Amino acid sequence: MYHILLTNRYLTTRVIPLIAVAAVALCVALVIIVVSVMTGFLDMVKDSGRTLMGDVVVSYPVSGLPYYDRLIERIEALDEAEAATPLVDGWGLLKMPYPEGRRKETETVQFWAVEPQSFGDVTGFRETLYWRPPEEDEVGAMGDGDFRRELLEAIGEEGMERAYQDALQLEYHDAEGRATPGVVPGMHVSAGNERQKDGSYRPVRDRWWMPQHEVILTALPVDAISAPEPESAVLRVVNEFVSGVFLIDDKRIIIPLQVGQDLLHLDEAQIVDEEGEETGFIDPPRATMVLVRAAEGVTPEALRERIAGAYETFRGDLLADHSVAMELIPPPEGFGVGVQTWLQQQRQFIAPIEKERELMRVLFSIVYLVCAGLVLSIFWAIVYEKTRDIGILRSIGASRMGISLIFLRYGAIIGAIGSIVGLGLAFLIVRNINSIHGAMGKQAPMWLWIGLFILAGPALLMTVWRARKGLLLPVVMWTLITLVLAGLGVGLMFHKGTLIWDPSVYYFSEIPNTMDPFTAVTTMIGAVIFSVLGAFFPAAKAADTDPVRALRYE
Amino acid sequence: MSDVRIDQREAGDEATRSRRRHPSQALISAVNLHKTYRLGRVDVPVLRGASLDVREGEWVAVHGASGSGKSTLLHLMGDLDQPDPGAGEVHFDGRIVTSMSRGERNRYRNRSIGFVFQFYHLLPELNVLENTFLPALVGLTRFGYYAQRGEIRNRAAELLAAFGLDHRLAHRPRELSGGERQRVAIARALVNRPQVLLADEPTGNLDEKTGSEILDLLAEQHRGGLTIVIVTHDRAIAARADRVVELHDGKVVGKAGTWKTES
Repeated sequence: MYHILLTNRYLTTRVIPLIAVAAVALCVALVIIVVSVMTGFLDMVKDSGRTLMGDVVVSYPVSGLPYYDRLIERIEALDEAEAATPLVDGWGLLKMPYPEGRRKETETVQFWAVEPQSFGDVTGFRETLYWRPPEEDEVGAMGDGDFRRELLEAIGEEGMERAYQDALQLEYHDAEGRATPGVVPGMHVSAGNERQKDGSYRPVRDRWWMPQHEVILTALPVDAISAPEPESAVLRVVNEFVSGVFLIDDKRIIIPLQVGQDLLHLDEAQIVDEEGEETGFIDPPRATMVLVRAAEGVTPEALRERIAGAYETFRGDLLADHSVAMELIPPPEGFGVGVQTWLQQQRQFIAPIEKERELMRVLFSIVYLVCAGLVLSIFWAIVYEKTRDIGILRSIGASRMGISLIFLRYGAIIGAIGSIVGLGLAFLIVRNINSIHGAMGKQAPMWLWIGLFILAGPALLMTVWRARKGLLLPVVMWTLITLVLAGLGVGLMFHKGTLIWDPSVYYFSEIPNTMDPFTAVTTMIGAVIFSVLGAFFPAAKAADTDPVRALRYE
Repeated sequence: MSDVRIDQREAGDEATRSRRRHPSQALISAVNLHKTYRLGRVDVPVLRGASLDVREGEWVAVHGASGSGKSTLLHLMGDLDQPDPGAGEVHFDGRIVTSMSRGERNRYRNRSIGFVFQFYHLLPELNVLENTFLPALVGLTRFGYYAQRGEIRNRAAELLAAFGLDHRLAHRPRELSGGERQRVAIARALVNRPQVLLADEPTGNLDEKTGSEILDLLAEQHRGGLTIVIVTHDRAIAARADRVVELHDGKVVGKAGTWKTES
């Protein structure tokens, strides 16, 4: 019982435990922040994968699936599926409208040719469109330098609405209402667009705001008969999208399905024999992928199983249909045709990040050892200081186990309090990580560094005053305070803004800001365990203390 | 004050108290104790066969010069230290303390013995009341404490009141005078109703008047039946005891266990 009394008193009447608590709290906060950001990053990769491609993907690369509309009908008949959409994907060259003159720049792009309506139902495409009439609260949130403000003044809400509506249909409508095929490139496809520090986008040269400009997409179709020859299509940029995944925003463009099928020769055609005579069979339009969105509450894995079944039935139907030429029947699943969840589809991309996160977790677990080392050294000092108390306790009958329990309990409590404080600190930092990062990216306000200089003044006076009194410790303390305040002031005066999180390196434009509960709990438990381990050696030393020597210790 | 003294008469561990002891038998004995300390590479023998019998209710003073081994003898008798292996025993109430298990020895120090030191040795983080009932806490489990906490606090408060410290219960040791600190230390030594009080130069750090008050207090407890062994280098203080033995050259000089009073 005396352990509790003494532990409490040692904790509440001394400064040294506060230092130990602060050390544990910082270690815990560090691990939670790093691993939470990594976990958030991984979640964002996974979420964005799902936003971009739905839950399950049926793919038949290059050749493309014929009769995909029949497959989509079968899939949409499933209770587990909410919507499905066909897609043709390929790579091409995009001739950009800039610069002035005849020599235009060309970008390599991955095009996704889609049916805009169903594509929007399956993926989060509509939400990723950047140029759109802002909601009322969005206008307020826009910074002064936000290009959308200028755009609103130039083309008005109506102009913005048109850009948005055209993007939803992937068609450009001129003043007379004539429609031509539209294209929606990712925000970083155009070299003219730059991300601003406030997260908004601005074309560096205003006239190269992409919408309404014409671009030419060239692709190389691969078909069975002729040698590959490039095909081109002229498209009007109707909008741009920001998925938040830099790799996608940098390379992908969205075009109408028909255009994609034409470019890759996946459109409808007559089948001819070797002499070039028509056989009477039609090669229907094809899609290289079918994206499927799961119904509410259905897991991608469950949906995948059902779609694999639906695909076999679809193939069976084709085999039974005599109007379908045998060569048009796609292979079974696993033989060129894949039915995969979005996670399986993205595996190559996600797996290294998962590995990286685990590596970080292991590496940062070394911080636990730092934590244990800190507790050990602090407790060693406490035991050293409390040697006489140990002798007294032994003289009144305290057992060695009892003495060591005081220090083990002490370690556990410091670990627990440090963990809780660390959790709170980590929560505050993780939640506000983008604001903190944003503030670091801006020039420090003048009042802040002037304020620091003003505070450094009295600190300097205190240093001088204490120096006159002749005590060294307060002089060292006040010198340190003066140097820290003045140093921070100088640093902030010359700070012009640094951005650490570069979207081109980290794929995302925002730092993940959710705390990972699993990491939080395991880190806290780890900190308590390592604090107790750190207290273990000093506790054993305390138990072994010779009471007679301890009583003579002054 | 008298209540406390009567308490002392009834004091002691029930288990040992129930054991019948012949009146001529000692309550606590040091038997041929040897103790050697090692200073660097040199062995320094401090006790060379010291023996002392102390009967129940007796006040014995061990007198000797500084460094004669008085404190060592007291520490061995109180099980704070062990004699050289196989070189002597301490007996208490018919049992050999030096052969007891660790748990039994902890209980011996906690219940049968009370220590008073020259430098008081109070815990600075605890207040006067807490310092006093600390040995009671040491001897109890958590459940035992909850069952007896009122009794324990009352006992400590009564002792402190009897020693004139009832207005100091919530004070920290640093707020007390030397005499007050020593009175708290004595209260702490008595809180578990031990049979023997071992006092190591209890007035060594006090002025004469305060020292005399402390000795009066010990005498009061002795009259109440408490067995006391006090070590001192001061002849005048030793003279307050029923019997004085001399420690010289690591041995108790004279017939240990005989009634002999020096003046």
